[in-house]
Parts: sequence; C-alpha cells; structure tokens
Amino acid sequence: MHRTIATILGSFLWLSFATGQVAVIANKSVPVDEVTSQQLLDFYTGDVKLWENKDPVIVTDLKPEGEVKALFYEFLGKSPSRMKSIWLKKMLSGEGDPPEALKSESEVLQKVSSTPGAIGFVSEANISDDVKVLTVIPRKD
Amino acid sequence: MRRHNLLNGLFIIFLGSGLLAQAEDDLRVFGYFQTGFQHVSSDVSKDENTFNLQQLNLFFQKNISTHWSAFVNFEILNNYSSSRHWGALNLEEAWVKYRYNKSFTLKLGLSVPTFNYLNEIKNRTPLLPYIIRPLIYETSFGEFLALEEFVPARAFAQVYGFWPIGGIKLDYALYLGNSPNINNNSEKGQTGVDTTATFLVGGRVGIRLADGQAGVSATYDRTNMFQDALGHQDLSILLEGRSPRDFEERPRFRLGVDLSYLWNKFYLESEYVSVVYDDGWDQLEADRRFYYFTLGYHFSDKLFLYGGYWETQEEYTIVEDITAGIFGDDIKFTNGEFYVQVPVAGLAYRLNDRITLKAQFARPRLKSNTSLFLINDTENFHSLAVSVFL
Repeated sequence: MHRTIATILGSFLWLSFATGQVAVIANKSVPVDEVTSQQLLDFYTGDVKLWENKDPVIVTDLKPEGEVKALFYEFLGKSPSRMKSIWLKKMLSGEGDPPEALKSESEVLQKVSSTPGAIGFVSEANISDDVKVLTVIPRKD
Repeated sequence: MRRHNLLNGLFIIFLGSGLLAQAEDDLRVFGYFQTGFQHVSSDVSKDENTFNLQQLNLFFQKNISTHWSAFVNFEILNNYSSSRHWGALNLEEAWVKYRYNKSFTLKLGLSVPTFNYLNEIKNRTPLLPYIIRPLIYETSFGEFLALEEFVPARAFAQVYGFWPIGGIKLDYALYLGNSPNINNNSEKGQTGVDTTATFLVGGRVGIRLADGQAGVSATYDRTNMFQDALGHQDLSILLEGRSPRDFEERPRFRLGVDLSYLWNKFYLESEYVSVVYDDGWDQLEADRRFYYFTLGYHFSDKLFLYGGYWETQEEYTIVEDITAGIFGDDIKFTNGEFYVQVPVAGLAYRLNDRITLKAQFARPRLKSNTSLFLINDTENFHSLAVSVFL
C-alpha cells in the first residue's frame, strides 16, 4: 500500500517537472522585471554585484544536483562543475563568495522572498506570490 | 628569531579570527595546502626521494560593507620550520578593496599585480592541475630561481575592472608598486622599504569571451643590475671607465602575452614573457624570456589530463680578463644563453569539492650554449600530491 502511494506520488512529482519549467525568481524589491541569460551569468559569476538601484545582488544556489539545477546552468552556458571552479577562483582571489547553496527549492523560495536583492531558481510549479519571476527557462525535450 | 615571532603572531591572529568569526560571522578564514612525494632521478647524480609540504596558504577575508572588503594571505613554503631554517613564511597579500562597480575597483595595500593569466593565481594550488607550476610561477623555487625578475610580485595600488562590449568583456588593470631595490640590511635603515625614488608601473589589457581570455601585460621599473639581474657585485670594476653606480637603477621592461581557452573538453593555456634591461652597455646581456603552454583534456568533471612545455632563456655575459690581472683593454666579453627546458605531463583528479589528487612527470633539461659555461643536465621528476582546500 505504502509502495503504491509512493509510486503515485513519485509519478505526480515527475510529471509536475516534466511538464514544467525552471523559473528564475527574485525578491520583490529588485528593480527589474526580466533578465537575460548573460545578465544572470554576470550575477552568478560575481562580475556584477549590484542591481541598478545599487542594492547588492544576493545569489542563491540549489545544493542537490538534479534536472532543475542542470537546466538552469545550461541556460547560463556553464556546467555546475565549471561554475564551481569559477566561484573557487573568485573566492581564492578575494573577489567574492560563492552563492549560498540551499538544501531544497522551498528553502530557496524562503530565502529569496525574505532577502532584499536575492535571486534564485526553482521549478515553475513551485513558485509563489511572495517572489517575482524574472524569466522562465523552457525545458528541452 | 624573527621568523619565530612572526609564526607566533600568525597563530594568535588565527585563534583570534575564530573568536571574531563566531561573534561577527563576517570574517572568513580559509586556505589550502598541497603536500606530496617526489622522486628525482638523473644520469649524473644519485636518486632522491622526498616527502614535502610544498605550500600552505591561510586567507582572512572580510566584507566590510557593500563596497569595501579586506583580504590577507599568508604563505608557508617547503616544510616550513623556523627552528630548522627550512622553507619560508611570507605575507603575500594584505589589501583593502573598494569596488564602485564592474568597471572600477581600487585595491590598496600589498597585492599581487595582474600580469598575464597565471601571476595572480600562481599560488592557488586548488585551482591548478600542476604540482610543479610553470617554472617562473613555482614559488617554492624562489630560494634558487630569480622568479621576480620575470614577473612582478608586489603592487601597492591597483585599479581594475571591465567593460562589456556585446558578448565580449574588455578587462583592464593598472598598478603601482615599489622598485625592486628594497633594503634588506637593518644597519642601513628600515628594512623592506624602497631605496629609490622610482616606482614599478604596470598593467594588463585583455578580452574575455565565453570560456576564453587573452591579454597583453607590461611593467616598467628600475633595477640595480649587479644586485638583481647579473648577480656579480664586483664585476663593474672590470669595465673600464665604469663605476657600479652606472648600473644602478637601470630601466627594466617586462612584456607578457597570455591566452587561455576552454573549448568543450579541451583546454589550452599559454603565456610568453620577455624581460629587457636597458643596461647602457652594448656588450652586457641580461635579457630573459619565458614561455609555456599547457594542452589539457577534461575526461570528466573529475579527471583532467594535460601535457605541456615550459622554457626559460636567460642571456648572460662572461667577462674574461685575458691579461690575468691587468684591467684595461684586454677584457674579453663572451655572451651566451642559459636554458631550462621542461616537457611536462600530468593529471588532476578531483576527489570532491575540497580534495584534488595530482600526479606529474617533468623532465627539466638545463643547458648553456657557450663553451665557457658548459652545462647539459637532465633530470626526471616524478611527483604525487594532494591539494586540500580548507
């Protein structure tokens, strides 16, 4: 019985992502309503650290490896391992810190909604009204 | 004794930083070390095996405000032990940075100047696949190679940033530092200070595009030839009509070109450095050059294989007094070049985010092209190391 429920739930969760996409979200305080992949890359590599209104850009990452994370970094044109080496170089040069890696999408939502200037990414199915959606990354079939 | 005190001081700072970090959560203490084993074989001398703590770096970093941050870097080399007189402990960096925006950052304090690709990150072993780094960047060789003749080691004010132009980023860096004529004799006054009124002036311009970058670097400063470039304090007495003062504060120019590119799984990294001395004496040669390239392949996210070649070329002048003690017209100058040529191959395996295992083979060949200074030695270096990010 438990196995059956788990299977149904698992299928449902898979379907919700398979039909969905990845949303780039931001705190409602950020002064933009959309971003390009190049702008996102600049934020995530630490090349650009301030929003147009001079508030700091707070980037968040998802700790678990998975399709959401892979799709997001593919959108940036970098693999997660390449991003790690870029962050390590920045950190060891005193040029910036890696993004905070959060354990789940709900933690990303919580962090982004409660931190001015914060930005992150979650499955589109998980977004809430507490955050602003800057772009939606379509899933490649 | 001074080394001992410095180490104690470092220890106190390290402990103190932990307390501060707990209270403020802003001061970050991190670092890395690289330790390994090396087997050296040669046709002309007996084999050697050695374990070595090649390098340990400790960083202290604090974000002071949105625009200001500070960074301190201590470097400990070659099984450092002050009581046994092994290795070295250096304060490599201590700077405060003001970042206005992406196009303007000002760094004040002791920092590593931007020069080519590798200079700034040469001692960041977790970033590099090498165990022995490309010759002039191997800081653990600093006890016996004139590394700082090739590349600038210290700046005290740097301005840098980039401008995006389409998909390209145009990088720039400008810096100012001391000349290499630093007092190291306490009987002559304060040590560590520049004894001249001249500066090191340098910079780099470059472009970044996707996973590639290229740049041109240059520096200008003035150096005391006999102390720094030639290493023969009393040679000038042989040069008729010249005094040692004629060779003080002579202009030195460095020019560098760098290229690095990641294309799919292939990686290329290459640099060229030329150092030219305006020694004011046609018969005296002291210029030097260095180049290297590394070709690599990422077999996976964890495994990187590479091969490459490094070479230094150093000009020198041998002065012979052919009248055996009577200085004057019968001085003969012989110019030559000394080469260090190193084919190298290796691999780096990233065990996890913090630990990288490395293996490397290097076959340095030392040779000279004049009969007066005949050398032609080849050695084989087999190295294994682990680099740990703390």
